[in-house]
Order: sequence, then C-alpha cells, then structure tokens
Amino acid sequence: MARYNILVTGVGGQGLLTLGRVVGNAAILAGIDATIAETHGLSQRGGSLIVQIRLGDGESPLIPRGAADLIIGMEVLETARRIVYANKNTRIAMNKFLWPPPLTDYPDLDQVISRIKETGVKLYMIDANKLSEEVVGSVISANMVMLGFAYAVDDGLKKLFEKEHFLKAMERVFRGKAVELNKKAFEKGYEEGLKQV
Amino acid sequence: MGNEAIARGALEAGICFAAAYPGTPSTEIMEALAAVAKDAGIYVEWSTNEKVAFEAAYAAAMSYVKSLTTMKHVGVNVAADILMSSAYAGVNAGFVVVSADDPGQHSSQNEQDNRWYGMHAHIPVVEPASPRDAYRLIKAAYMLSEKYKHPVLFRSTTRISHTRQPVTFEEDIPVEKKCKGKFDRDIERWVLVPAHGRKQKKRMMEVWRRVAEEEGVEPFIKIINPGMKKAIIAGGIAYSHVMEALEVLGKKDEYTVVKVSLPVPLPYKPILKVLKESQEILVVEELDPVLEMQVKKLAYENGVELKIHGKDYVPINGELDLDSVARSILSFEGREPVMPWKPLEPLHLEPPVPARPPVMCAGCPHRNTYYIIKTAANKAGLKDPIFTGDIGCYTLGYEPPFYTQMTSLEMGGSIGVAHGLSKVVDEPVIAVIGDSTFYHAGLPPSVNIIYNKGHAVILVLDNQYTAMTGHQPHPGTGLTAMGEPAVRVPIEKLLETMGYNTYVINPMNVKESINIVAEALKKYKEGEQVAIVSRMKCALQAVRKARKEGIKLPVYHIVEDKCTGCMVCVKLLACPAIVVPKGAKKPKILPELCVGCGLCAQVCPFKAIEVFKEGSPNWLEAWK
Repeated sequence: MARYNILVTGVGGQGLLTLGRVVGNAAILAGIDATIAETHGLSQRGGSLIVQIRLGDGESPLIPRGAADLIIGMEVLETARRIVYANKNTRIAMNKFLWPPPLTDYPDLDQVISRIKETGVKLYMIDANKLSEEVVGSVISANMVMLGFAYAVDDGLKKLFEKEHFLKAMERVFRGKAVELNKKAFEKGYEEGLKQV
Repeated sequence: MGNEAIARGALEAGICFAAAYPGTPSTEIMEALAAVAKDAGIYVEWSTNEKVAFEAAYAAAMSYVKSLTTMKHVGVNVAADILMSSAYAGVNAGFVVVSADDPGQHSSQNEQDNRWYGMHAHIPVVEPASPRDAYRLIKAAYMLSEKYKHPVLFRSTTRISHTRQPVTFEEDIPVEKKCKGKFDRDIERWVLVPAHGRKQKKRMMEVWRRVAEEEGVEPFIKIINPGMKKAIIAGGIAYSHVMEALEVLGKKDEYTVVKVSLPVPLPYKPILKVLKESQEILVVEELDPVLEMQVKKLAYENGVELKIHGKDYVPINGELDLDSVARSILSFEGREPVMPWKPLEPLHLEPPVPARPPVMCAGCPHRNTYYIIKTAANKAGLKDPIFTGDIGCYTLGYEPPFYTQMTSLEMGGSIGVAHGLSKVVDEPVIAVIGDSTFYHAGLPPSVNIIYNKGHAVILVLDNQYTAMTGHQPHPGTGLTAMGEPAVRVPIEKLLETMGYNTYVINPMNVKESINIVAEALKKYKEGEQVAIVSRMKCALQAVRKARKEGIKLPVYHIVEDKCTGCMVCVKLLACPAIVVPKGAKKPKILPELCVGCGLCAQVCPFKAIEVFKEGSPNWLEAWK
C-alpha cells in the first residue's frame, strides 16, 4: 500500500514540530506505522521549515516532490514555496497568514492564492491565527486549529483516523491546561473545516 | 525520535556514564539521558567540548564502566586525537561514540562522511537505517565493543536522529549496572610511548581483521532475496530508501538487497558470496563511496569479474531520498528515470517568494550587541573593522544589516583567525564568539593573542546557555546537565587573568553600552589588549521564564503620528517583529511577536516607538 504523505510547512516557531508529534501519537493510537522527519537547530530560528509525515508501512522518511497527499501550510509564502511537493490531486489546507521575512519584497496574499488555485489543487483556507486567539487568547494554538481544519477537509486523513485519535494524542503531547486549550483549538478548526466541505 | 531511540538502547545496554558537547543533530541523545539520569541511576554531563567529553566517557570504559559519548560529525574532528589513541589502547567495558552526521548540511559547516574516521582510526562503524533500527543496533554496537574490548563508532545522520517513528521496547533498563570503576595500572596499555604504541597497534590490527572476518552476520549484514542476478548493496538510511524505491517501482523480486549495518570494516564473507552470485551490483550509500571502494577491492582481490556501480549513478552530494534513489536504480538499469509522482510546477509569482533564511529572534540580545559594537566602532573612529566569526546563533550576523561575521569556519576559529589576521592586515580586527563556544575552544587562542602579541578585540556574546542547540547549560549557566547547581566560571575573570582589559556590558542598556564599548575600542586603538563580554539572557529563555512565572513582558508599538517612515528600525535591526505591510510607507510591530526588549525604541530617531501594553512591574526579572 502506498504511504500517505503529509507535508507541514511554515516558519520556525509556528509549532510545526508539535503538530508532527500530535499526528505521530495519533498514528500510534490508530495502529498506523509512521515516520516524521523534522528539522532542528539553526533552521528553527525563524527560518523556512518543513515537517514530513509519512503514514503506512515503510521507513524512508522523505516525501518525493509531487507525492504529498496533503499539505498543511502554516504560512502563505511557505506554502507557495513548497508547492512542488503537490500534484494536481493534492489537498492544501492553508493558514491565511502571510509573514514576510525581514527586509524583503514579496508577492501579496491575493496573488499567491489565485496562483495556487490556478494549478487545480484543492485549496482550503482559514485564519488560524485569529481563531487561535479567539479560543486560547494567543496565536500559540494556530497549529492545532490547522490540524483540526485539515482533518475536516481531507478525506485521506478521515480514512486513517478517528477524531478521538487526535484528541487523545494531545493528552500525550501537552501538559496541564494546554491539553484542553489545544483540544478546543482543534475542535474550532474542525468546525470551520466542515463548513467548507 | 531517532536520538531518543539511541538513548533508550544505550540505557538497555547498561551504560552508567554519558558525556557530550551539544551539536545538531546529536543533541537530543544526551538530553533524553539527562532527563532520566537520576531515575535510571546513571551519570550524565555536558562537557566543555567533544574532546573533553570523549576523554571522560573513555576513562569510564577504561575502568570497566559502560559509557557513551555523542557528538555531531564535526565534533569528532575536535575529539580526533583521543579517538585515534583509544583504538590503540582499547577499553575494558562497552564504549560507543555516536557521530551524528549531517548530509545535506541542514545545520553544519560541511557534510563530512565520518565512516572514514572508522577506517582511519581502525574503529568499527555501525550504521542504522531508521530510528527503530538505531534502537536495536546501538545495543549491537555495545555487544561488539564488549566482545573486542574496542571502541565502536555509531554513525547516525540527521534523517535518523531527527525522524520520529514508533519504537516498541524489547527489554527493560537493567536495575543492576556497573557504575563503580576500577583502574588497572596497566602502563603498557595506557601510556602510549612509542614502544608501547607499537605493541598496541598489533592488538588493534588483530581486532580489525577479526571484525571483518567474523561479523558478516545479522544484524550487521542482512541479505534479502538472495540469488538474483542484480544486487543492491545499501548502507545506513540508503537501505530504507532502496526498499521503498523497489516497492514503488515494482522491482522487489528482481533484486538481491544487502543491508549493511557494519560498513567499516566491511565483513567480507557474505558480500563475496553475493558478488559471486550476481552479474551486476549497485552500491547505494549517502555521501562518499566508502562501501563501494571496499566492494570493488573485494571483487578485485578475489578475481570476481562483474560490473560494480555506485557513485556513477548515485549522487555524492547532499542527502539521498526516495526520489533520488529510485532515479539511481532506473539509471542503473539503463532506463529513463520516469517517476510515478508528478509534481506541480513552481508558482510564477511577481516578485517571487523571497528566501527565508533563519533570523535572530525578536528580542535576541545578539541584535543589541551587534548594533552597539557597530555604533561604538564609529564613535571610537575604528575604521572598517574585520569581524571574525564563530559557530552559534550569532553566526546569523553575516547577514544584512549587521555584517558582523565575516568568517565562520569551526568552533573557536574567530579568535585564532583574528590573531593571524592582526599580524598581516592593517584593519582593526574584532573576534565575535559565543559563551559556550568560548568555553569550548576559545581559551587557547585567547592566550595565544596575549603570548604572541597579536592585536584583536575579543567580543564574547554571553547569553548564558548553549542556545542554538536548545539551551543546554554550560560552565557559565550555574547548572549541570542533571539540573544540579554548579559553580559559574566567569568569562571576564578568565580574560582578565590572561591579560585583557575586560569590559562587561548589559546590551539591553543600549546607550550606556555604546559608551563603554567606545571607550574600550579607543583603548584598543591605543594598542592595549581589550576584551568585551556582552551579557544578556537568550530571549527564548526570557520568554519561557516569563510564561512560567506569569510575568507579562511589555509590548511596543509604533505611533503613527510620530513615525516619519525613515525605516531606521527596519533597516538597522531586521527584527522579525517589525514588518512593513505590503504597500505601506511606515512599519508596524506585530504585537504577538514583540517580547519588549525595547531596542527599537532606543534606536528610533523620532521617539515614535512606545510601550503599548505595560509589562508586569517585575518584567525585567524574566531577563535575569
């Protein structure tokens, strides 16, 4: 069976590694084998970052270009940068947040969105930063909003996981108050996602 | 995570002593061990550098205590002296050196292939194909080390160390461990004067011969689907790519695959058997042709005639992946490398998506120090200083607008290079080095400047942690790896003792610091030896402390009416919290990113940056 490939893209500090860990723990709970390739060190300091999640039997951890089934984009420019991981059947769940690198000129949000749409991929968007602020009071749980949103809009994820798997996984990854807050953030993203399918 | 799997495996193997210096991608091995050290009843330390860590762990293994040392690939260069000697003298208990290599250079100055170190030092190399494999193989590495009373090099790579995978534990951590050592006064063994060394070399070469002769068995060599005309010999993570590539290409049944987990010295018996049974061989390995050379030698020496391919089809630069390995296999078969996956074209955007290299965090003290040193150099009339640099977050000073890192070669290099430059160029030279790097390799070159009458300013950026690798404590932190209080070794005292006029600044106080540094630089101009220590806690640690203790940090904003759009804050500081919205003439501060360091407010010529949300009355505590 072909492995299910999820590329998570964004900026160091946006909680990509945590998102990966939640999916990894959900995979253990669902009895699915997984590899999750992270990037650490210097690249975490506000740099361009990807996490590569591969679900199903196999141990090669890197997703070939064009082989992503789902892209979770925590930031708009980073999603655009990694579009080559998509093929025309890929679903993209994108946070409507454009964070320009310092001292640079960059394409605007509308242009990026229309170019992505022109490729024919299925693009779903929400303002996860805003929703996170509404639910937990800061942008810190935007990653869980995005995960809930992606789960709602992506059939592939739904085939592999029950929602409970993710909620239980959060109990393994977060501690104290963060567990409930992140669950709420996930649910919020999930609700918004359902509205779009 | 692969690194956690390695830590767990080492614990199950019964280690009681572990020492390391942090370095990506190796760091989490020791972090995982430090987190459980007390419960598991083992000793763990962050040493001052890789050589020191190696020596400490080696001493334990000399004395019958199983031990571990871990480092990034370039860390082995620092420890190479003792590595070579350890192979001559051997060990009395299992001793494994983990080298976490970084193919693709995700976080390193090079992508050297440390399997060569095994070849060079006559130390067997064990190499896993996945995190799960690493968990089992680290235990096998300890068995190998115990069997031959010899050090073993365990080579991981970024994609093993930093990949997560479910791992099922196969055994418990032994409760009874040998933690108390015994030193044999075996002078002929431990004192490597030439006469003793010659004897030890014979022992070492005998171990080398026996490993190649006897270890061609699982888990070190595994043959999948034997007897095919075509065979792939794959080492390390390349094996995982090969297996999936064959699956994807529908060619699993056509190939014999040899999984090599002991690439150096290559156990020849099973390999020779495959060579004799096959007509064509492809060797798939990341980076250098270490396996390929040995396989070709084996065929030549045994008169086996067949085609052996490797780096003619498999990339030698960067890391391998499923895609590149699948392409290599198709090229090897003489086919067009047509892949089953069909990527989209890159988007045509105007302007294109800008590069996003890592940047110094909002509130990073290095930003303050860089602004201060440049402003102070101007003030002191120091023309065109050359800034030699080092390895740490502050290396990012090579970027605009700072340009305060003009070299970055290896740990401690800033000061050694500064000395040499000061002897041969006319410009003033400022060596910029981090605190952890200073303890690691900054002391000898600092002494050298004084002794040999060089003339360079030493600027130590002291954020009180080994920050880039994730805030490990060091001799200036006041904590040990196991969380116990430790004596602080003040950097300024060390420099003073050597003979430097030493100045300490708190870069959060920008104006005051500029005055102090300008005074220091004037002294330097007059021919004095000068060192500056800039001490302010890493912003990430300050934010963490604030969150933990419920301290609110102030948040700044730009007052629209006062801002003239001069862009000084944007252009001089490159703070990720200050952005210029598309089409706007004035910058704004992203409140969710601002951590209230106040640098921009001190730099703004129009006093247009003000506190917008007050911090707690004690907010400065977070930075202490």
